[in-house]
Amino acid sequence: MKLKLFTKPDVPLEAECISTAVIGQLKVKEAEKMKIYHGNREANIADFFKVTKGKDDLLEVEGDMHRIKYLGANMSSGCMQIEGDVGAHLGSAMSGGFIKVNGNAGDWVAPEMTGGRIHISGSGGHCIASAYRGASKGVSGGEIIIEGNVKNELGHGMAGATMVVGGQCGDFTGVNMISGTILTFGEMGIRTGAGMKRGSIVCMNNIEILPTFSYDCMYTPIYLKLLFKYIKENTKIAIDDKFFNGTFHRWSGDAIEMNRGELLVYAA
Amino acid sequence: MKINNTEIVDTYAEAFGMWSAKVIITAENDYWAEGAARAMTGMATSVIGCKCEAGIDMKLSPEDTPDGRPGYSILVFTMDKESLSKRLIERIGQCVMTCPTTACFSGYDSKETVNIGGALRYFGDGYQIGKKIQDKRYWRIPVFDGEFIIEESFGVQESVGGGNFYILGDNVSNCLDACYDAVKVMKRVENVIMPFPKGVVRSGSKVGSKYKDLVASTNHVYCPTIKGVIKDSAVPENVHTCYEIVVDGADEKAVAKAMKVGMHAAAKDGVVQITAGNFGGKLGKYKFFLKDLI
Repeated sequence: MKLKLFTKPDVPLEAECISTAVIGQLKVKEAEKMKIYHGNREANIADFFKVTKGKDDLLEVEGDMHRIKYLGANMSSGCMQIEGDVGAHLGSAMSGGFIKVNGNAGDWVAPEMTGGRIHISGSGGHCIASAYRGASKGVSGGEIIIEGNVKNELGHGMAGATMVVGGQCGDFTGVNMISGTILTFGEMGIRTGAGMKRGSIVCMNNIEILPTFSYDCMYTPIYLKLLFKYIKENTKIAIDDKFFNGTFHRWSGDAIEMNRGELLVYAA
Repeated sequence: MKINNTEIVDTYAEAFGMWSAKVIITAENDYWAEGAARAMTGMATSVIGCKCEAGIDMKLSPEDTPDGRPGYSILVFTMDKESLSKRLIERIGQCVMTCPTTACFSGYDSKETVNIGGALRYFGDGYQIGKKIQDKRYWRIPVFDGEFIIEESFGVQESVGGGNFYILGDNVSNCLDACYDAVKVMKRVENVIMPFPKGVVRSGSKVGSKYKDLVASTNHVYCPTIKGVIKDSAVPENVHTCYEIVVDGADEKAVAKAMKVGMHAAAKDGVVQITAGNFGGKLGKYKFFLKDLI
């Protein structure tokens, strides 16, 4: 199925049903009548999108959707391709399937995600793959790749996913992280890994190390060769060959928590 | 039926079903990768006494390995899936994890899997770290030079063991030359191993024995020294040496291909006859008819 935005919403539009989990299963006429929320007003998909039959097993969405929230929510299978920018809460509670965004994403990408894959060719906002306020843990599975930059609180409370950022990160990356991997190729902000219990944060640039982290050694993690190879084969993120055979400083922390997390910082 | 001047006997090689796993071992350089590969495939010539059969399948260039380092692919065969899991845990744990700089990955992408890295991870004593890339989980076990990386699950599949052919020659030297040439070309075939020393067996066996506790004994009909004292000798008049080449393969096709190229390479001056171990159906369900292969 294919959706093309013809009317930009004046206020945020909540379109939880634009997902392979819902309209991916419907016929065109049925999809057009699905409810979405334009601010606090109920509307139909057809009020904003032209719906046509497209390829099987693929939900294509096109347009400037930076004000449209919850695209790809609750997806468990299938493939969704988005051409254009998207708003907040992309892939909310996703458990499977694949979302490809050729554009930028807003804040709160993939909250409560447990599986599946999201690949964003542009940049992302704040709180990507983060736990909602008050939640004990955040994203617990799956993979998110953002080729551009992201803002603050990337992977807050993350518990098991793989998060790759091709560009820069803001402050508090991996704060309160429980497990999983965050790999960033650009500069990072302050307080990286603060309060992390377990998990890995990998950085290709010098970062400020909190005093509650302890230095272990310098070595070449073979695991990173696998991860770099995967990223090189599946994204447009430019990975310098020196990283493949490079050595990394390993720091353990955060000592205010379980002290079982690691920061791997490229050395040479 | 002949290849060059060598008679190809109209018989079949009787092979049997086994389970196999392909293990990819990588290391910092070829020296250490080969060290681990040779250690892991040591004392693994026959399930009769070694609990498994194993050998090096291929040397791999960095472009062909998961982590971009030099490596080897190894095939390990057992009679059932459960024992395959045990043998892999033992051999990877003792021979690969112990070897400097190595990492270990599954070489088969099969539906059936056994838990190997997920068992060996406990060596990490709680300091091991699990990581997932796409659908594969890896374990990072802290060791003296960094970390030993191993894939959690290894693909296994039903395979073929005991493919074989016998080379009957006029003397040891000519017969060994033929074996050498045969094994050399058979090694280029992917997904097969010749598990015996340098790929050749001189103590070919038959099923059963006059001693009731033995499951296998010398295949006496191919022993030249007793040709005069037994009535059922299969050693022709002008033959004084026999050798067997045993082939285990990931599937029937791989075994057949290896046997074919091996027989063609072995059929040369001094080789009187090429035949095969045929036990009348007592050994296994696979039959490789020599005439079909050539």
